Amino acid sequence: MSDKFDTAEFIAGFVAEAEDHLSSASTNLLSVEGAAAKGQATPRQVRDLFRSLHTLKGLAAMVGVEPIVELAHAMESVLREADRAAGTLPVGAVPLLLDGVAAIEHRVRALADRQVVVAAPPKLVEALGNLRQVGADRAMTSADTSLSPELWDKLGPAERTQIVQALTEGRRAFVVPFVPTLERASRGLTITSVRERVAALAEIVKVVPQSIAASDEAPGGLAFALLVLLASQDDAALADAAATTPESLVPITLEGVAAAPAPESLEEVADEALQHRGVVRVEVARLDEALERLSALVVTQFRLVRTLAAMREGGADVRALAQVVADNGRQLRDLRASIMHARMVSVAEMLDRIPLIVRGLSRATGKEVRLTIAAGKAELDKAVAERIFPAVVHLVRNAVDHALEDAEERRAAGKPEGGHVTVACRELSDSQLELTISDDGRGVDSAAVARRAGAPLPTGDEGLLELLTRPGLSTKAEVTKTSGRGVGMDVVKRIVVEELGGELSLRTSRGQGTTFTLQLPLSITIVDAFSFLCAGETFVVPVAMVEEIQELDPARTVRGPDRRKAPRPGPERRRTVRAAEMIHRRGEAVPVLRLDELLGLGEATELGRKAIVVRRGGESFAFAIERMLGQQEVVVRPLEDALVRVHGVTGTTDLGDGRPTLVLDLAAIGGRLTSPVVGGQP
Amino acid sequence: MLCKIADAEYVLPAADVMQMESFEGATRVPGAAAEVAGLVQIRGRVVPVLDMRVVFGYATIERTIDSRIVVMKRGERTVGLLVDSAREVLKVPEAEFHPPPPVVAQQTEGLVKAVAQVGSRLLMLIDFTKVIGEEHEHAG
Repeated sequence: MSDKFDTAEFIAGFVAEAEDHLSSASTNLLSVEGAAAKGQATPRQVRDLFRSLHTLKGLAAMVGVEPIVELAHAMESVLREADRAAGTLPVGAVPLLLDGVAAIEHRVRALADRQVVVAAPPKLVEALGNLRQVGADRAMTSADTSLSPELWDKLGPAERTQIVQALTEGRRAFVVPFVPTLERASRGLTITSVRERVAALAEIVKVVPQSIAASDEAPGGLAFALLVLLASQDDAALADAAATTPESLVPITLEGVAAAPAPESLEEVADEALQHRGVVRVEVARLDEALERLSALVVTQFRLVRTLAAMREGGADVRALAQVVADNGRQLRDLRASIMHARMVSVAEMLDRIPLIVRGLSRATGKEVRLTIAAGKAELDKAVAERIFPAVVHLVRNAVDHALEDAEERRAAGKPEGGHVTVACRELSDSQLELTISDDGRGVDSAAVARRAGAPLPTGDEGLLELLTRPGLSTKAEVTKTSGRGVGMDVVKRIVVEELGGELSLRTSRGQGTTFTLQLPLSITIVDAFSFLCAGETFVVPVAMVEEIQELDPARTVRGPDRRKAPRPGPERRRTVRAAEMIHRRGEAVPVLRLDELLGLGEATELGRKAIVVRRGGESFAFAIERMLGQQEVVVRPLEDALVRVHGVTGTTDLGDGRPTLVLDLAAIGGRLTSPVVGGQP
Repeated sequence: MLCKIADAEYVLPAADVMQMESFEGATRVPGAAAEVAGLVQIRGRVVPVLDMRVVFGYATIERTIDSRIVVMKRGERTVGLLVDSAREVLKVPEAEFHPPPPVVAQQTEGLVKAVAQVGSRLLMLIDFTKVIGEEHEHAG
């Protein structure tokens, strides 16, 4: 761990936040598109879109990713116009904006992968710019502002745009009245001098002369209305310059279809959104860290319970203390639940991007697709969500690409022309969730699958699924544009079944459709772990447990007495593994333990080349192993059955070979050697 | 479910059998009882496997292509039994099963729940619950 400022972490934060904004932007764009097809305007979505892009622009500027700033800016401008037009986007805007989202996404991903972020595509930026001009040409009417129709009619198109634009940008506009009188003229206040004085404070759009009924106040029957844009808040100074009172200034506001959230500007709204009232973004790793600290507390609690039991046996009255310890245990469980809860994300959020994917697939395949997402309020652990999402995408992609027939075939089969894909989710229990991906397509042709797999015709859906999930099987002869790459069914199975310990099932009937059901755990334990080889077997040990990995130099290993063959009086309770061996580590003598022998994996003659140093309490142990294999994040599954619940083994994991690999608690193995009696009573 | 262990024929109630897998090695669990052959992953579930030869007191042998893991489920527990071979499923009327002779019951420590004569074959019904032992909480 470095204590320097970590730009990687900063970038990671940006990437996470950017992804959120992009996903909400996609969702909003799709609903805008849907509404536009029905001729409806979508002011709320357009406003949300604007916020997302405005925030993105700001974030990208902070991390200095110019291409994203440029794209977001171009899109934001289009949306600003649309917002002014009460949420009506110009024709052709949605596809361009979706391209924009994709282009930003691409660059965010590049950033995440530490790749070069390529410049914004100039054609797209230009096209977005052109949209803006089309939008600006929209005829504005006097109803757009609070200006009286008489004044509005006196304005040219450029002047109208100038006022509306300024108002949308959050500047203030006023009608400043000036009525020339002889008395004023005698004090040097003429329209010419007032114009000069006002111009020093505000931007004058136009001075409109108006004829009014002649009166004592306006002997000439003439008045002027100065239309000004004010950047400052100093209304009094403006009034003073025009020889009038602040009350006489008439503010111009946006009205009707052009109504902006006056008086606050869009930017202010967006900046407010940026602050995410009450929401904190936390990296999952930090929650994991908290969880790890908590496990240490749980161990302490366990020791408390044991000590308490010993005291009770010693005849002490521990009732009061026992109550406190019991409370403490309950609170620890609650705390654990809270931390686990903080890691949950909503399934609906996870599925946010599915509509966009389906839209793309629909375009690529030319199939009309209706998508239903019924995610409800279910939540699941972030780590599970991250792992399962690619599998869901694959199943949805398969459904649109392979399962749904084209319009003609569907018509012939008496089905509605548009296919229907449903992604649904429900909670099965406190710890399990069920995700289903179904379509009303042609169903899986088991004969074709069997042919491709070179296997006999499967008897049921279960057998069919087994064939489908064989590595390298593709049921479609040609690689299609959309399903040609990405994960295959074998990977879906690997994710669901092997990685997450869930279940995958299939129900299909010819001509009716297919449903894939995924049963998933709500949460999983993931640790960063080293994998290593010892006596020919692979094990993993959590990185957090390891102090150091050391090269073992046999020449520098000190060998002590070998008591194995020494005469031993009395029953042999203490397990002496072999001759005592030690290495020096930072001025400390550390015992070298042969893990192969400790685990009873047979006696290797050569001492391993590497040692994993762990610390337990004040003691260090160096476990000699064969060699290190690597480091990776693993999903740990506890060993549940009593037959295999053994000391020093926390659980198992799958390193990708489909076989269980043991996760070792080396500290416990080391600690046990020094505890008074092996396997006895404390 | 009919299976062979050290040349003798045993039966397991098919209702408790989840599936059968060929044996491709198991992950050894250091410190587990000798009859635990190790862990295998079956459909994502990590299942302990008992070497039935060891359970029944025979020497363990090199596994062959006939070796099978019979995955059994009883209540919350799922355990695989490693047998020399397992192929047939046959229907034996319940009436055909008789308690083993008392001497045999004692000698097998209750692992054989009943015996049945089918044709010329003598089949022994394995008491799965006895084989996997009672689930008991480890004290720490």
